[in-house]
Amino acid sequence: MSVGAPIPTAWTTGTTEVLKTGTWRAALPRYVSAPSPCHLACPVAGESAEWIGRVRERDFRGAWEILVRNNPFPATAGRICHRPCEGACNRSGFDSSLAIRALERHVGDRAIAEGWRFPPPPSERAEPVAVVGGGPSGLSAAYHMRRRGYRVALFERERELGGLMRYGIPAYRLPRAVLDAEIDRILALGIDLRLGAAIDRPEDLARLRAEFGAVYLAVGAGRQKRLQTLDYEKPWAIDGAAWLRRANAGRPPALGPRLAVVGGGSAAIDVARGARRFGHEVTLIALEREGEMLAQRSEIEEAIEEGVRLQDGAMIERVTERGAKSLALECVRVDFIAGAERGSFRVERIAGSEFRIAADAVVSAIGQDPDLGAIEGALSTRRALIETGEAQTTSAPDLYAGGDAASMERFVTAAIGMGRRAALAIDASFAAARRERGAASERPVPLAAIATFYYPKGERPCERRLGVEERLRGEAEVEFGILPEEAPREAERCFSCGTCIFCDNCFLYCPDLAVRRIPSGYEVLGDYCKGCGICVKECPTGSMEMAEELR
Amino acid sequence: MRNAPPDRMLLTGNHAVAWAARLARPKVLPVYPITPQTPILEKLSEFEAKGELDAEVITPESEHSVMAASIAASLAGARVFTATASQGLLLMHELLHYASGARAPIVVANVNRTVASPWGFWPDETDSLAQRDAGWIQFYCESAQDCLDTVIAAFRIAESVLVPAMVNLDAFYVSHALEPVSVPGQELVDAFLPPYSPPHRIDPQNPESWGNVVSQEMYCRHRRDLGEAMARVFEVALETEREWSRLTGRSSPIIERYRCEGARTVIVAMGSLCGTARDAVDALREGAEAVGLLKVRLFRPLPVEALRAALAGVAEILVLDRNYSPGYGGVLHQELRGALYGIADPPKIHGRLAGVGGVNVSAERIAELVREAAAGEARRESVWVEG
Amino acid sequence: MRALAVGYEPILSSGHAACPGCIEALTVRHVAAALGTNTVAVVPPSCMAIIAGPQPFSSFKIPVYQPSLEASAAAATGLRRALDAQEKRDTLVAVFAGDGGTYDIGFQCLSSAAERNEDFIYFCFDNEGYMNTGAQKSSATPHFAKTGSTPAGKASKKKNLTEIMAAHGVPYVATACAGYLADLIRKGEKATRIRGTRIITLLVPCLDGWGLADDCGLEAARFAVESGVFPLYEVEEGCRYTLNEAGKTRPVRDYLSLQRRYRHATPEEIDALQAEVDAGWARLLERVAASRESGLTPSAK
Repeated sequence: MSVGAPIPTAWTTGTTEVLKTGTWRAALPRYVSAPSPCHLACPVAGESAEWIGRVRERDFRGAWEILVRNNPFPATAGRICHRPCEGACNRSGFDSSLAIRALERHVGDRAIAEGWRFPPPPSERAEPVAVVGGGPSGLSAAYHMRRRGYRVALFERERELGGLMRYGIPAYRLPRAVLDAEIDRILALGIDLRLGAAIDRPEDLARLRAEFGAVYLAVGAGRQKRLQTLDYEKPWAIDGAAWLRRANAGRPPALGPRLAVVGGGSAAIDVARGARRFGHEVTLIALEREGEMLAQRSEIEEAIEEGVRLQDGAMIERVTERGAKSLALECVRVDFIAGAERGSFRVERIAGSEFRIAADAVVSAIGQDPDLGAIEGALSTRRALIETGEAQTTSAPDLYAGGDAASMERFVTAAIGMGRRAALAIDASFAAARRERGAASERPVPLAAIATFYYPKGERPCERRLGVEERLRGEAEVEFGILPEEAPREAERCFSCGTCIFCDNCFLYCPDLAVRRIPSGYEVLGDYCKGCGICVKECPTGSMEMAEELR
Repeated sequence: MRNAPPDRMLLTGNHAVAWAARLARPKVLPVYPITPQTPILEKLSEFEAKGELDAEVITPESEHSVMAASIAASLAGARVFTATASQGLLLMHELLHYASGARAPIVVANVNRTVASPWGFWPDETDSLAQRDAGWIQFYCESAQDCLDTVIAAFRIAESVLVPAMVNLDAFYVSHALEPVSVPGQELVDAFLPPYSPPHRIDPQNPESWGNVVSQEMYCRHRRDLGEAMARVFEVALETEREWSRLTGRSSPIIERYRCEGARTVIVAMGSLCGTARDAVDALREGAEAVGLLKVRLFRPLPVEALRAALAGVAEILVLDRNYSPGYGGVLHQELRGALYGIADPPKIHGRLAGVGGVNVSAERIAELVREAAAGEARRESVWVEG
Repeated sequence: MRALAVGYEPILSSGHAACPGCIEALTVRHVAAALGTNTVAVVPPSCMAIIAGPQPFSSFKIPVYQPSLEASAAAATGLRRALDAQEKRDTLVAVFAGDGGTYDIGFQCLSSAAERNEDFIYFCFDNEGYMNTGAQKSSATPHFAKTGSTPAGKASKKKNLTEIMAAHGVPYVATACAGYLADLIRKGEKATRIRGTRIITLLVPCLDGWGLADDCGLEAARFAVESGVFPLYEVEEGCRYTLNEAGKTRPVRDYLSLQRRYRHATPEEIDALQAEVDAGWARLLERVAASRESGLTPSAK
């Protein structure tokens, strides 16, 4: 049968792909790798979104490897970090912030249990580097230098490494087995360890500078600040650091049963709680009101649980000896007014609010200053600290400083972070300069950038603690880690702010099929994208943004 | 196929249509009842139910859906047949355009019945003539045999040019009148009408879409293409007629000249009126009056050249219209005037609105009309004939 | 957040003429893909017919036939039967129609096809009005919504298509929307495994017709579900009800406040709408409970 000639007006012959609808748009979406609020808040540059993503996939080893890129102490930090990340977490504006520290502890504990080790440095470098101080900051610097292949000599005045982590923080908060495991793992990288080697005098430092290409000073803050109202010559007055040092060694000073502890930071809490464990009745006297104290909220709660009586917003005005042992502490309520700089403040006494506390001894833990004998004349200082720049640089090009000796930010993880920054700076001074991501100028991903629809609401796992009676019996760790099955579930709650999780939303929700999968992720097809912004709106991690186009 | 038909059967026009459709082996049969077409659908449904016809019978809720289903089925590559009448055809109106625009060679039998209102059941061709601009081929049948032959031929022609075709038969006078009909065997029809297999169809193996929005230029070209396909109908119909004649000995030309030799007056008509007009011509010829009949079997496309050739040299033309276009007159009358415009020695054309609404027009009355016309002047407008 | 694994071949192509951010285009992208390439589609005049592409280009990599506005279900019937007659019984026939072409002018023929249980899947892209002609009222337009033909707000309620089609006793009737993409795809795929008339009503927020920002269509769809305005559910064999999103967690007001078409609504009208939604939700829950009690609960969700 014959059929009519072709009728091209009746049936189609091709697809609309020849029509480039990209000309319609005014803005094009693009992928951004933006810092998460937790990452920016983290003193150790936590890359939290990445490692939590690995936990979500139950790749704990992968999570640990990301964690230790920045912090060699995940099990330690996972216990004692002041967790600024959780305060910044976008999830807190949705249901409750992610239990980041608990996840970190979980990963860190797994690493210890599994015996995961750091790989040897990929190459060895000739430049020798010295680190002074074997506390968190010095160990962190040594670790980062060593992983980059530098020969590192570590000078520590004490017989054991750890600094504040060993001599300040009690074992019920940081079990020594955990600390030792994390320190041993660093040492296994091959560090020239010089224990019992104090660098106290200018000539000690001069010798180091002659021998080493760069020196990182992380000597800590060993000199206790003292209350003018106390006579430290008396047997009933003692520094908090000294008390802790002896208590942590199992031999607390012999003091009467009623102890007054003065201070509002972690050290004061540690003294108070430690004293409870040695049977003392404890009253804690802090200038700040309870909500303003520098100690972490959970520490204060735990102290009160353990029977520490808190006298907040108060100070001792005078101590009167009554008989051989008993003291009368004449106190007054005060208004605590924080100053602009960290650590600065003033108080105003409230007239007529005087009260009295009976005690047998007073332990003051009101802060410490570094002992800067070694640097005298070599470096400039500011308010009793070594003056440093952003990358822990000092006024001498070969000297770097960090930790409590250079900062009033008296947190272990802050010290670890400074050690890392110093190591990177030293490395950069030797090698070509490198910039790391997450610079302070970058804006964190806001909650509004997260498509929260994709996240069911949930609560963070509850923090479980040892019963009070058992706590007071000894050194048992107070806080429990989260359960193994809880970790990936909690990691599911992470918004992965600013980190693409390859969820395909941008690809799947494009009405114009203008997003293509490519091996490294996704690509927006400018030929077809009409600029509607659905991909940006549906991104569950805030990893996309619209960029205006000028044509 | 079981139950091969006897060579000759006593059939109504409707059943002749049904037999023709059966022999054409349609694959899809959407149907909806309406008087006086209903016997066609019932007969076809019966054939299918008995297993004598292998087709998908669809029973939608309206003629509109019948035509919608027909178009889609045709575009998917199936041969489609349906039947309707009057209001049913009018309800299809919108889709008649869709069908021709989609170039779907559906064949529809339409039993010509008065259009409402007022309500009636009588023979009148206004229903189908109102569809003359819908892009369908239109045939008008005089008898049951004519119906059978035309339905089969319509498939072959429609599928050749990819234009749908409508086969019209007058209500009752043709649809319900019994007469002996020569019914060809299935093998003969299969040889005449091979299975429908269009090169382009809706098929996921070769995804082409149909009916997408077009530009002005494309629309214009598309309409022109439809006109060109229509223009090919004459040649295809001629070839089809020759083949049918070879196979059956019956000939059904697109226009039939009956006793027109030397005719001074020629009656021009369509459908059932032709049968009566034949009797009138016979009677007049017996009285030695030079009168003939021109039966217009193909109305769309209008065979203008064939009409001009057939009517050249005739003095008087009497056009009988069993239809009425208010404000225009008899449709055949007016179209013929246009077709013959500019012819040499133009005949006088007398238009008569005879049999509108099924009014009976006898052979005697037609003879009178012939005489009256010859005696009077031709008027531009069509003239009503009282019953 | 878990990634949605979608592995199928795309059927919609880039370069189509839907508005930026169009939920109808997004929805049909996934619906068509869930059906697969062995499918033919019917698209009546509608926004979808524009999305389908200007001759000679098609945005669909399956054949599409565009019938008249009121005849989609009949055209689908014709395709189905012609394919059956050619022994192409595995080829799916789908309709992608708008609400005007379904609730209004196409309703008669849809009802008839459903009564015959014709074997096709009918997707109604319900944007609650004649949006391709610039937003006029259809019988899918909800109470109080402002359109070009209801400038003071629509005086009557929205027709409940899902219930009407369920009352035909067809094997599968469901609602879905692109805001719940996994549910949408699951229903599309489920429909392909059933024979007979399957009808899925898809809520398609229209950016222009409803007065939404370019990137707000999905949010509107989700608010519609969360407020109970558009419950996601399935009805099998006309009697087995399954509710897919069980919580009504949001007041209707939240949903209305996203849209310009309700900006004129008075507090009384909003209360009235809330009452209508509450009543509809309660009725739906009763039906779900009744089918559970009578042991009619479908096996697969």
